[in-house]
Amino acid sequence: MSSFSRSAQQWATFARSWFLIDARMQPPGKIASMCSVRLQGKHKPIYHPLSDIGDHVVVMNTRHIAFSGNKWEQKVYSSHTGYPGSFKQLTAAQMHKKDPTAIIKLAVYGMLPKNLTRRTMMQRLHLFPDDVLPEDILKNLTEELPQPREIPRKLSEYTQEERDTFPMLWTPPEDYKMK
Amino acid sequence: MAARCVMQSARTVLRSVQSDLSNKGLFQSILGFSQFSFLGSVPCRGLRHVVEKKEGKTTVIEGEIEPTSERPQPPNPTAACPIYRWNLQNKYNYTDVLLLSQFIRSDGGMLPRRITGLCAQEHNKIAICVQMAHRAGLLPDHRPPLPEGYVPKPKPNPPLNRYLTRYSVTSVKPILKTGLKWCKKRMSVGHPALKNNVTYSPKPLYTKH
Repeated sequence: MSSFSRSAQQWATFARSWFLIDARMQPPGKIASMCSVRLQGKHKPIYHPLSDIGDHVVVMNTRHIAFSGNKWEQKVYSSHTGYPGSFKQLTAAQMHKKDPTAIIKLAVYGMLPKNLTRRTMMQRLHLFPDDVLPEDILKNLTEELPQPREIPRKLSEYTQEERDTFPMLWTPPEDYKMK
Repeated sequence: MAARCVMQSARTVLRSVQSDLSNKGLFQSILGFSQFSFLGSVPCRGLRHVVEKKEGKTTVIEGEIEPTSERPQPPNPTAACPIYRWNLQNKYNYTDVLLLSQFIRSDGGMLPRRITGLCAQEHNKIAICVQMAHRAGLLPDHRPPLPEGYVPKPKPNPPLNRYLTRYSVTSVKPILKTGLKWCKKRMSVGHPALKNNVTYSPKPLYTKH
């Protein structure tokens, strides 16, 4: 705003905001790319990789993320500590059961630039498995981001009116029973 | 129109109050009226209205099949397959549950092609979409009936959410070695039968993630 004094304008431009994302029924990759963009500060026109300009991002309901395809069974997260015999491979389903925030955490870690600022950006990412958020984080939140994927409606969520207005595509023969 | 027929039958019943069968007729017409209160929700057999004919000492109470009327006409009535009749080819997806629910039984299985009149390719596509909708949990009421006294296994709470699953959940193996970029083992999403679907964005549909 042009009515601000110079110091107030400077303060407002470089302020660090807190974003909230609801990850219910969302693909974790899309959530992670939104998070990485905002943690780096790439959504601001004043971006520069050296100026520490990223914002905080809070992701809730990470327990309820939805993978497309058969990725819960096919996607494998591998790790090796360097010691012999410590090669661990976990499917996404097993990983999620062990730690509901791990999938999004690893996805965001892989999407951030591979330099020393990555660790500070990960410290600014806050993941919560359910929609219970601590009070001090709730007080800091400034904006909620829209969900990337449109959640499809179940058949039970359609009203009887909508079901009636949808036309029948085919007429069953008169003597056919058992629908 | 159905209500009018029921009212007419009710009027004929009220005129012949003296006969013993009048109570039965009244009960049947009341029954008929209660059935028609959910008109158009489950059109499995032809809708019938009760008609009472009296010839001397015999009263004939009949359920006459009503000709179905007031139906919206399809834009292409000459085609053989219902999807082509309504110009829905390449336009439906696993999320269009209202469309898919017209071709499934109450326990979730597909209706036979000779009954629905679908052509082979569209029947296959609808079967694939129904499978994907079941796996995404969009058809919660179309479950197979469980035998009596069956105790289901304790399932993980909350269940894993998924969508566009091509293969059955128990049949898929984890990809332990994905390979290098030029020979990567991709994870399949969606189904190639739906690759001709209309996309309203410039990005193409990716089936291999």
